Formats: sequence, C-alpha cells, structure tokens
Amino acid sequence: MYSLTDTENLLLSSDEEEDVQLTPAEVIEMMEGAWINEKFAPEILPHRSEIVDCLLAQVTSMEENIQGLDSSDFKKSIHQLEVDRLRFLVSSYLRTRLEKIECYSTHILKEEAERSRRGEESYLSEQESVFARNFSQGLEFYFDKLLNFYPGLPTESWSSRIIEPNLHSFIFVKSKTDVEGVIIDDGTDGDDLADFRAGTPILISYNSVSGLVKKGDVNLI
Amino acid sequence: MYGEKGFALIKELSRCKETLPPYNTDLVNAVSNEIKQLLEQIKDAQSTSDNESALVTAGSKISTITIAHAGIKRNLRCLLSYHYNRIKCLRTMRWEFGSILPADIKVNLSAEEIEWFSKYSQMLASYMRSIGDEGVNLAIDMKPPKALYIEVRCLVDYGRFELTDGSVLLLKKDSRHYLPRSECEELIRQGVFQHIV
Repeated sequence: MYSLTDTENLLLSSDEEEDVQLTPAEVIEMMEGAWINEKFAPEILPHRSEIVDCLLAQVTSMEENIQGLDSSDFKKSIHQLEVDRLRFLVSSYLRTRLEKIECYSTHILKEEAERSRRGEESYLSEQESVFARNFSQGLEFYFDKLLNFYPGLPTESWSSRIIEPNLHSFIFVKSKTDVEGVIIDDGTDGDDLADFRAGTPILISYNSVSGLVKKGDVNLI
Repeated sequence: MYGEKGFALIKELSRCKETLPPYNTDLVNAVSNEIKQLLEQIKDAQSTSDNESALVTAGSKISTITIAHAGIKRNLRCLLSYHYNRIKCLRTMRWEFGSILPADIKVNLSAEEIEWFSKYSQMLASYMRSIGDEGVNLAIDMKPPKALYIEVRCLVDYGRFELTDGSVLLLKKDSRHYLPRSECEELIRQGVFQHIV
C-alpha cells in the first residue's frame, strides 16, 4: 500500500477517542475481512457496525484533510483515490447485507426474534432491523392486496413458504489460527473431524464452520 | 385444463428475465377467476349429495375436491411467483435508475407495483440516511474504483451539467470528457455517458 503511512498521518486525529487503540490500517483490514466474509457466506452474519462507523468517521476526516491540500499537489489525487476505495468497501459491505436482508427478510426476522428471546445479541444493526421490518411489511401488504379478490382465501399458504439461505453450500475457508476437531456436518450419523492449520485453504460446507465464521476465527476466500 | 394459465404467467417471466414486460392484467385476472371457480366447485361438492346414496358419491366427491384444491394451490403459487419476481426486477431498477423511474418502464407497471416501488424507495432512503453520522449514499460507488478520472463519451444532448467544484460543463452528443469517476457514475448508469475503456 503506497500511501499507507501518509494515510495514517491524515487519520491520526480521528482515532484518538477510541477505547481500543487501532491503527487505521488495522481498521481497514478488519473491514476488508468482514466484507469478504459477508460476500461469501450464504446467510447474514453478525453486524460489524462499529467498524463501519469508525471507518466512515475516518473517511470524513480524511476528506476534510484533503480539502486543505493544494489541488495541484500530487498527493491529493492519491489520497482521493484511497478515500474512494474505502467508500466502495463500506458501501459494498452494506449493500451485500441489504441484499441478503431483502431476499431472506421473513427468515431473518424470525431468527432475530428467536435470538432476542434467548437474550443473544442480534445480528442486524438497529438501522438494518428497521429496514428489514419495513421491507417485510411492504411485501406482506402487497401480497395481501393481491390475494384479497376472494375473501377467505387461505392466505397463510404464501407466508409458510419462506426463502431460506442454503447453509449447506460449499465455501473456501482459510483459518487464521490452528483449529482442531471441526465436526464435518454432512447430515449422516458418523461425524468426521477435520483439523485446520493456519493459512491452509479448505473447501467445506458452510454449516460446519458457520460458528467459526461468526466468531471471526476463519476467513472465507 | 386447470393451472394452464398460471403456467403461462411463469413462462412469460422466464422469457423476459432482465426486462419488465407490461403487467399482464388479463392473465392475472383469468388466473384469479380460475381460483374463484375452483373454490366454488369445492363448496358445491361439499353441500350437495345429501339425498343420493352416500357411498356412490363419496368417491367422486373426494376426487373433485382433491383436484380443485391442487389447482388452487398451484395457481396461487404461480400468481405469487409472478408478482414476486416482478418486484425483484423492480428492485434492481431502483438501484440502477434511482428513485424516479423512466416513463417507458412506468407504463408497464400496475398501480400496486408503483405503490410498492415508492414505499421501497422511501425505506431505502431512510436507511441510507441513518448510517453513520450523516448518512451514506449506497447507490454510488457501485464498482471498485480503478482510477480517479475516467474518459466518457456523451451519448445524448444533455445540456448543462454542474460539477461539485462549481464548474459547469456543456454536454453535447458525441463529445468526449475526462471527468472524476464519482461525478459521472450515475449518468453512466442512466445511459447519458458511455465509459470508454
């Protein structure tokens, strides 16, 4: 990364209030990891809005700093490109999540309700769950209107068929650390175990590693 | 045969995957009517038959009801898939064209679809406003940036176009420009510009 040291200089001001001291490069790396995982996982992953907020604040402060530079300065265009890249990263991450929310809205809302009953942390950020509820209401309203031409039609038949993500799809993972004894869940009784070595790519079905992905122990590739 | 019209709806969908054909009101109504007819049939089968001997009619009644019920379920499925897939297509268009639909697409939509679209636009806009401190426009930065400036050719007489730094360009047909990518991304998607690689 050619402009990393300069980027860090530009960013230092925004990072001071953080409880955990992270360099901008680390934040970007975390965001990239979250983005790639989100892109390749079939289901929605726990939200990382703290990274998103942090990065957005950084982008804003970088933009402010760029404003101060002379427009003929060569550094300015490089910084601008860096900002553009970061913006793409963040918005692509959020877009991917939105797409999943829209596609699986009913399923996700059901899971969220289940999680909140068990007192677990929800996977959607606050804004996302507002969006998810609105979206599924809009769809429901539209379908109800469509089917009200005959009163007493068994309307529950459409809501009982929910689109669910295919958790058995295969993905490539690369583990960050050595993990031993991952149970390969292939639906049969005899469970096989697999050991992950750090950095070795493995092709495996998603449901076997979903817990590790959500914890952030492995990277999807 | 029952269910044929529903199947025709699905065939229409798969014929035009990327575009939105005109909303097929006639066929949708026909399918709805078929569902109504079948429901009536079930009701009739349930109410008649008291005076005839129960054993003879029971068998034929059961088969009537089973077939009618299967027909209803199938028709409902087709009807819902037709509408759901149109909505999905409409959603893609929201991301391409922004909250205002081109007139040639709008004429192909039903009133309910237009209503859904404006609702969807609203919820999307309020979501985008709520991220971060001052909101993020997710509809820009659709492709990973490779360079800050890109070369574009103008395809239509667009007229005056103001850049964010305040300077004004006159966009004529077939003129070439070298512009910041973020400025012209939306115009490329609207078909005003063509990106020259």
